[in-house]
Amino acid sequence: MQNIELYKLSKKVYREGVFHSQLQSAGSNQARFLERVEKDKIARMPDMILKFMSAIYIGILFIIPLRSFGEIYGSLLSGTSIEWVTLVGGGSIGAFLLFQPIILLVFSITFVWGLMSGGPYEWVNTLPFARKDVEKLGLFTFFRSMNVQLIVMALVLPIGSIVSIYFFLGEQISIVNCTILVIFSIIQSFVSIVFYLSIAVILGRKLAGVMEEHEGGSKKNNIIRIGTMVLYLIVSMLAMYTIQIAMDKIPLLYASESLSPQTANIINIVLSFVAYPFSSSYILTGTVIGFFEIPPLVVIGSVTGFILFVILTIFVFSKALRTLRSITSTDIKLRDVEERKIELDDIVAKKVTPVKAFFKRDLSIITREMQGIMYLIMPIMIPIYGAIVPLDFQSIGSYGLSANFLVLVFYIIMTSYMLIVGLTNIEAGGETITASMPIVVRDQVKAKIPYFFGTILLAYLSWFLFAIKYPEFWILLRFGLLYLLAIPIIGIAGLFFKAATFGKLKNKFVLEEIQNKYKFLKYVIGFIFVAVLAYGFALIGGFLGYWIMFGVEIVSLALLSVVFHFMFPKLKT
Amino acid sequence: MKEEMNDEIITEKLEHIETDFIESNIEEGNGKNVVKVRNLTKSFGPVMAVNNVSFEVRKGEIFGLLGPNGAGKTTCVKLLLGLLEPDHGEIEVFGLDPGKDEITIKNNIGYVSEEPLIYKSMTPRQLFDFIISIRNLDEAEAQDKLRYYFDSLEALQYYDKLIATLSRGNKQKMQVIASLIHDPDLLIMDEPLTGLDAKSAKVVKEITELHTDRGGSVIFSTHILEVAEEVCDRIAIINHGKLVAIGTIEELSKMANKAGADLEDIFLRLTEQDESVNKIINDLRKMMKNNNKK
Repeated sequence: MQNIELYKLSKKVYREGVFHSQLQSAGSNQARFLERVEKDKIARMPDMILKFMSAIYIGILFIIPLRSFGEIYGSLLSGTSIEWVTLVGGGSIGAFLLFQPIILLVFSITFVWGLMSGGPYEWVNTLPFARKDVEKLGLFTFFRSMNVQLIVMALVLPIGSIVSIYFFLGEQISIVNCTILVIFSIIQSFVSIVFYLSIAVILGRKLAGVMEEHEGGSKKNNIIRIGTMVLYLIVSMLAMYTIQIAMDKIPLLYASESLSPQTANIINIVLSFVAYPFSSSYILTGTVIGFFEIPPLVVIGSVTGFILFVILTIFVFSKALRTLRSITSTDIKLRDVEERKIELDDIVAKKVTPVKAFFKRDLSIITREMQGIMYLIMPIMIPIYGAIVPLDFQSIGSYGLSANFLVLVFYIIMTSYMLIVGLTNIEAGGETITASMPIVVRDQVKAKIPYFFGTILLAYLSWFLFAIKYPEFWILLRFGLLYLLAIPIIGIAGLFFKAATFGKLKNKFVLEEIQNKYKFLKYVIGFIFVAVLAYGFALIGGFLGYWIMFGVEIVSLALLSVVFHFMFPKLKT
Repeated sequence: MKEEMNDEIITEKLEHIETDFIESNIEEGNGKNVVKVRNLTKSFGPVMAVNNVSFEVRKGEIFGLLGPNGAGKTTCVKLLLGLLEPDHGEIEVFGLDPGKDEITIKNNIGYVSEEPLIYKSMTPRQLFDFIISIRNLDEAEAQDKLRYYFDSLEALQYYDKLIATLSRGNKQKMQVIASLIHDPDLLIMDEPLTGLDAKSAKVVKEITELHTDRGGSVIFSTHILEVAEEVCDRIAIINHGKLVAIGTIEELSKMANKAGADLEDIFLRLTEQDESVNKIINDLRKMMKNNNKK
């Protein structure tokens, strides 16, 4: 079969892989997801949005080498030691080379593991294709999953070098060095792309193994699986922020020489031997500064390091090819798991209270699904990213700490609502089981309440740790502590509101979305309800006094308790 | 020509027989009815899923709901469970209203759905611990039953696997076990044999029979005539949401013989599939003849 035809066919296999990943991520909401994709064709292509977003991010990274190259000569002229300039140049470009695959992987891995599970190739294997063609198809499909990002990645460094030469370096460095800079940028980009692609194949396969591991119940497996997903989310959020910080701080770093030239030189020598990402970054920095200007050991180190990087790339590429070969073959096996024989005695029934059973079920579902994990992690991550991180890294501006606190409240509203939606979505899954079980909704609701105390409060309390260095903090402390009670109140009230608007039946309220009319409007009103509560408490505190706010919170809590008894009465099973 | 005439005669005869059968079977109900449905109607927008359906399920019987895909069987089952609210009509399960006495009813019902919508993110161990806790069952008793059912359905090796990774048939086994674990009085099984291997299907059929021998009742929904014929004591045939026939296999067979057709013909005619089936078969024959293997 012609390569071009295979590449065309890879689109179908790729789309199948994306769909497979979406289904996996939807977890207990698969039925709802399928309903959504049937109506909305765009819902089938979330990968396109992520592809272009990551390509834009990778494109923005262009600023790092540009700023770094641009600062080198200015710093040397202002008297900064050559060792320090080499260190900052090597370090910042090294960071640039490190961020590239992070962005690539973070944005693509969700869909990559769908491709790496082997599922999309099963059907292809039943068609009359040569084994070699199926392998090629695997490579093409994988390339398709990252094509836009890889093309941008291939262009960023060479274009960055050319632009730097044109604007900053043209008059400072020789034509030979300019040529070396551009040629090496192209070589480096090519090697890096092969390296990143290979790493993505290997990682994707590992992740597919974790996600679809057959021994789903083991503790070790649970830890690996949850850890992988949490790490993925944390890396994705922090990477974006670190990039932002790195781009802001480069000129400051050049100017603030904080190490002696001798120490900087030792670090330079050590780092230059590191095959990835520093050997290339030191070669690029060395080309700009001039190879005869920097210590010979750094030059030797970076060249040796780069050769090692090429060897490493060849090694991981061949491993990636083997991996691709295995996933496109019909006898795919995720991991050689030793089958443990289960005896009759291994079946042991364990009974807990219904509330505990629901809590355990929710936790089990949440921690096994990407969507669920996001609902659990986002309430911590979003406030940290939006309100807490700026406190530590940036000036909080002329609006002061109080304004930042109000921003935190906004994130608490967002994340409370996410948690409400996430926790009630669980009820949409497992219909067969819940449909025929004598479920007391009161127990279901009770099991969800601890989640509102846990995750969001953690983010809220973290804010205080970061805000402590501001003088306003002590004024806000009492207010903040008295506002603490409002956080679970707004979450729980939002949960009741959702049950009231979506789950009203003839004789009772349920957590499932039964009344689906005006769905979007109900979601919007629900969000506004939570926002009014959250800012309402804050405004009462601000205008009428802290203790009055606390009093209103206590009254609200009592009211919530009454509503709880009314909506979810005690029933005998 | 002769065939067409025969068809007309059969259709004419059927029209009389149908009504008599439905009436006689519904009136036969007595105090031992587990389920009583009267003039049940449910529509989804313009689609009438269940249209004025009445039937009864007696204690100790396997009652079949037979009909083609999309006939309204699953909607009937969901209405019985209180998962859907009827537009019109009455439902009584154990003499109670599913809308009001849901908990009591569900304590005595086991349900196997057409699609195994069970928690895919759990292992059977976690799932059954959850069920035992929510149903407040005796640990030791539940454990014995679990061991028995897992062993007899040859599902032991899946006890610690993620449900998501199980085959359709094994997921179905989990559903079947979940429906039996609390020893319910009424089993509602919607296409329970889907995906099961021959051995497990035989075991499930045996379980339903043993269940009725002990005084339990079963509502067995299926679209496969042979299964209904083999398993059910009485059958209600549903088409386009309407009850078109109800009776024991003998009664339906008598009806078929009287009309000069076999049970399959009767089923296809009542469910208005006879013409389309004949057309498909004729087309297939033509196509196969034209594409003879060389």
